[in-house]
Amino acid sequence: MELLDRYLQAIEFWLPKRQRQDIIAELSEDLRSQVEEKETELGRKLEDAEVEAILKRCGSPLEVASRYRPQQYLIGPTMFPIYRFVLAVLLIGCVVPRFLIWLVFLLVDPAHRGYLHMENLWVTVLYFAFFTTLAFAIAERSGVKLEALNTWSPRKLPPVRDPNRISRFGSLFEIAAAVVFNVWFVSLFWPRPIIDLYGAQLTLTPAWRIFFWSFLFLAAANIAIAGVNLFRPYWTRRRASLRLVADGLGAGLFCGLLKAQVLFGISAPSLPAPKAIELTNVINLWMVRTLPWAIVTMLVILSFDVYRIMRLRCVHRYGGPIGPVVKDLSSPMVNGN
Amino acid sequence: MSQSNGNHDLFENLRLELRRGCLSLAVLSQLRTERYGYTLRKALAEQGLEIDEGTLYPLLRRLESQGLLTSVWREEEKRNKRFYRISAEGKLMLKQLGAEWQRINSSLNGIL
Repeated sequence: MELLDRYLQAIEFWLPKRQRQDIIAELSEDLRSQVEEKETELGRKLEDAEVEAILKRCGSPLEVASRYRPQQYLIGPTMFPIYRFVLAVLLIGCVVPRFLIWLVFLLVDPAHRGYLHMENLWVTVLYFAFFTTLAFAIAERSGVKLEALNTWSPRKLPPVRDPNRISRFGSLFEIAAAVVFNVWFVSLFWPRPIIDLYGAQLTLTPAWRIFFWSFLFLAAANIAIAGVNLFRPYWTRRRASLRLVADGLGAGLFCGLLKAQVLFGISAPSLPAPKAIELTNVINLWMVRTLPWAIVTMLVILSFDVYRIMRLRCVHRYGGPIGPVVKDLSSPMVNGN
Repeated sequence: MSQSNGNHDLFENLRLELRRGCLSLAVLSQLRTERYGYTLRKALAEQGLEIDEGTLYPLLRRLESQGLLTSVWREEEKRNKRFYRISAEGKLMLKQLGAEWQRINSSLNGIL
């Protein structure tokens, strides 16, 4: 019976402490009964191979012991989808922008890519994953009940989302923000040789004029698009393409501005000339260094614009969207207005 | 080959799922007479319901912790054995589960 004892000892190791003796005694009794019955049937003692066959049929020690333990998990099935969502958002939010910026630095300004150490990134990712998991595991263990699970009602659920519908509030906000910005922009930067800015005088290069008028024209175009969106609140392929062109021009202009080194000089009563030159150079340099970040931001915005056009094409071609279901297919977007 | 294995695994999973609920009912029913684990397994097997020790003993413990069974250690044939018997609460539960089983069975007979 040595094999049997070794088997029971291996099971015992994995059992809950308080029940060990009890479970082993009962299991031992059952297995010995099986062996005895077989011995009676054969009329002789069982050989090791025959005992082994009985034990193998029972299952591995870990498997047998696990059946006596309650089902355990670090993060339960209710919490798990939320955990996965939070983890994905954190990881994507942490990894993707930094990776893109690192990539753009590599392409645009390789000399300064050392600002972003990719090794640090993996440490950050591990920290995020560890602390998120820990927080959810503690919440699970302390029995935190999600209030929303008890108080939910179909009436409180968000309305069915139509990705092609343009929020009127969004359009209004866009117009208001653009008007406020343009008033400030024009009053402060109206092209003249020297611009007064909070007590300091900025001298800008002649190239600034081109940027000024281009930005102003673009802002007017954006206000016009937002105005149309306000009264016809569905994306159409034409308007989505216009938005792509406007955003693309804006992105090109902004990146051009960062690279153009338009600041020629700064002067202020309390600023000595050498310091002013140094400050001018620093500002121009940092504008150039901001370029990769700007490029990444612009690429994200342009990707959304392109995705919108593709979705509208899909609705037009197949009568259904790529994303969530559009309830009102009779909206103007389907006709490509 | 792998699809056939996949089908077999799927069948096995579904079969176990189907059996799981029935086993409690069968065990409660058999323990109207006092028995210890090994004889209980044999009694169930004789009636066509094979159950391995790895499934039976955890189930017995669960039913006991739910108050549906009582158990006592006693020496028999020079060996200590744990004898189980259905409790009063278990009898009530068995009656309710039995009725539910009959209802499901007749519905399924109609459906299948």
